[in-house]
Amino acid sequence: MDQEFEIAERTDATPPVIAVSGEIDVATAPQLRECLQRVIARGESTIVLDLLGVTFLDSTALGVLVGALKRCREAGGDLHLVVADPRIMKIFEITGLTSVFTIADSLQAAGAS
Amino acid sequence: MTEAADVLVTGDRIELRFPARGDLIVLARLVTSAISARAGFDIEELEDLRLAVGELCLLTLQGSDARHGDLCLELTVLDDAIGVVCTLERAAAGDAPGPEAADIAQLSERILDALVDEHGRESQDGSVRAWLRKRRGGHAE
Repeated sequence: MDQEFEIAERTDATPPVIAVSGEIDVATAPQLRECLQRVIARGESTIVLDLLGVTFLDSTALGVLVGALKRCREAGGDLHLVVADPRIMKIFEITGLTSVFTIADSLQAAGAS
Repeated sequence: MTEAADVLVTGDRIELRFPARGDLIVLARLVTSAISARAGFDIEELEDLRLAVGELCLLTLQGSDARHGDLCLELTVLDDAIGVVCTLERAAAGDAPGPEAADIAQLSERILDALVDEHGRESQDGSVRAWLRKRRGGHAE
């Protein structure tokens, strides 16, 4: 089996970093949605979402990311994604979402401190 | 099945039936990976099929009250391709999909457009059927 799904939030980082690992699909995406909504509701408008440990994501996961991006931008911020795995990057490319999200290949490049 | 235990050939057909729950779609992806590898698809094609079949299952479930239904996945090895049919059985029509569900369905369609050679979805007599076909050695992108 693939790596187990986990979400870890680094509250000491500016902007806050949410690190996800494992498979984000229809079964696990609601947990990610809930986490992002909680952080945005706390007043954070810019978030770095670390997807370096993600082994799979589907359209449900993309829907959660697009929803969070809209809420961040409405609040004057942004949702920065960190993706290094070419298989994960390919999913953003084929759905045309590389032009919608800011995607970096490392936490440093995404502006996480 | 075939003479060699780890190889599937033209005409071999595998069926998987499971309760139509999102958390079980992972089973469809796992079976697809195993079958595709045994049918001679390379690693990249296998990853494409794993993602595509997950999306096929999601499209099949869309707009249906699947709480009491079953998803039936049928994989058939063809001459130069694999065919996958996903059918939702015994499920009633659900609420009309909301805007978020429609957006996700559109993303599913884009993923399938990019990864497989042909795909489609149809509803008939209370059952929903979605299908795809992907050629071996012929990347759809």
